[in-house]
Amino acid sequence: MTALTTTVRPSQEATPRPVPWRRMIWVTWRQHRATFISVPAVLAAAAILLVVFGLRAHHDYAALVNCPLDPGKQSGTCSRLMANFNSGVWPLANVCSILMQLAPVLLGAFAGAPLLARELESGTFRYAWTQGFGRERQAIAKLVLLGLTLAVLAWAFSELFSWFFQPFLWVEQMNQMSTEAVFDTRGLVFPVFTLVSFVIGAFLGMLFRRSIPAMAATLGVYLVIRLLAWGVRGQYPLTLVTRNAWQFTAYGTPGQPGFPWILNSWVTGPGGKPASPSIVSQVQLSLGGGGNQPVSVPKGYTIWTRFFPASHFWPMQLIEAGWLLVLAVAIGAAAVWLVHRRAV
Amino acid sequence: MTVHTLSARPGRQDPETGAQPRPVPWRQMLWVTWRQHRGLLVTTAVVLVGAVAGMLAEGLNLHHAYAGVAGCQPLQSAGCLQPESTSNSDWHAANGFRVAVLTLPVLIALFSGPPVIARELENTTYRYAWTQGIGRVRWTAAKLAILAAALTIPAVVISMEFTWFFNPFMAQRNLTSVTPAVFFTRDLAYPAWTLTAFCAGAFLGTLLRRTLPAMAATLAAFALLAAVTWWGLRPHYPVHTYWPMQLFEGAWLVFLCAALAAGTIHLVRHHAA
Repeated sequence: MTALTTTVRPSQEATPRPVPWRRMIWVTWRQHRATFISVPAVLAAAAILLVVFGLRAHHDYAALVNCPLDPGKQSGTCSRLMANFNSGVWPLANVCSILMQLAPVLLGAFAGAPLLARELESGTFRYAWTQGFGRERQAIAKLVLLGLTLAVLAWAFSELFSWFFQPFLWVEQMNQMSTEAVFDTRGLVFPVFTLVSFVIGAFLGMLFRRSIPAMAATLGVYLVIRLLAWGVRGQYPLTLVTRNAWQFTAYGTPGQPGFPWILNSWVTGPGGKPASPSIVSQVQLSLGGGGNQPVSVPKGYTIWTRFFPASHFWPMQLIEAGWLLVLAVAIGAAAVWLVHRRAV
Repeated sequence: MTVHTLSARPGRQDPETGAQPRPVPWRQMLWVTWRQHRGLLVTTAVVLVGAVAGMLAEGLNLHHAYAGVAGCQPLQSAGCLQPESTSNSDWHAANGFRVAVLTLPVLIALFSGPPVIARELENTTYRYAWTQGIGRVRWTAAKLAILAAALTIPAVVISMEFTWFFNPFMAQRNLTSVTPAVFFTRDLAYPAWTLTAFCAGAFLGTLLRRTLPAMAATLAAFALLAAVTWWGLRPHYPVHTYWPMQLFEGAWLVFLCAALAAGTIHLVRHHAA
């Protein structure tokens, strides 16, 4: 009997070489070509409409950009231009903004819910999941490929939308941080919201094993996550506190670039004790009726204001995109785990 | 050979020959529709009860705050400034409900319309369903009618509640009852749009024979129809005051819905089972 004394290299001879990942590109394309074609087509059509309408909005905006926002100080021409902008251009832009906020969940539900559930519904999972590639790797590859495609498309579209929406920020007094319709539709947050709703759809599709109920549930879960994001946004550890309440009047109106997101303000008396209600209402009166004149504060009292400066826009985007991305990865992992556990 | 000389009355059962079985009564379809679509009906009911309760709670809150602002004299006093400063966050909440109410008809129709026929075709259960004694035309007509009624009644409730809910903001935001986004949510227009979206979904589901593409198509068709109505048709209505406009829009939408339902039944009738 001959004993082999050389060390065996198990991966080379014993098991067949695993199917390379790049093979999954073709499979994903072939199975989901309807999504890969229809999503860019729909977004391209919407982009053309946005460009056409956006050019008109920018043109109208350029005519009134030097007008004062306060109706009492507007000249005849200005008030005509403003009225035309508010009643002729803004309603359509408002609809666009509503659709833009629905876009992540619609994209995610239509692309995500059938991703794994369709194989179960039609029984093709018996064939697909017994391929040499391995069912978990297949699920991961499909989630990553479709998810990345959707996120990139969503990012490109949100860049266009941000350009389109720029004129409305100042006129409609929307702040890029405190107004959800603006913060949610720009930068990193919009594509990550799209990614989250996509993996939620895939996970719920795998959980329910049926596409349509999973789509409906995706809408609900997405709404909850969105409300959660709105709730915690003011709590991000990026706030500053100032005792100089005058600085904010220099920025003008909430829609102007550089305007901070003011969270709250309070008044303290001598020794740091909270001020009495009568002092607070006196200070509020001078702030509320104010404008340009300095706020008259009784001696020894301080107005404190907690706010996010405009320069913290990108750090806030990073924090929000960060935790949403972690959530997306966790939900995606849960979906793959369900694929792993399901008996063929 | 006996010849029957009595004139035959079709539809009545002949006790001697038993030639024509009595047709299955329509009301039997009530149970069938419930059984086939109980997931949809229960989910819709839960969502609507939640929406109605949420809007009621928030509405009472807002109306209370509004009454405080409206009755505040003099306007610049310290007591009045506080509600003034909170009115922006009130608007914020109200606008959220408004967006939900604006999108609810199409979302509900999206999930209820396309599966009515398309799911039977996808699962091939139509071979069983359409060969029942009631007949496929009556089967389809009954299901469409029952589901349409089940969706229209909540739409009326939501629309009435939202009209009350949104009232304080009409003057504050320079809105009138003929402002497109307000007009849509009221009286006849809102249930009519819900109904039309449902009929369009059912028709597209029958035409495309697959639920998911039909849902996407319904969404696109609804958006297109709403946009065309908003910017193309409504300015050219023969009437320009609120109630005549509501009647006109409600009427043509109901006609459109009836045409789509007739198209659905036509497709079902000529589909080879």
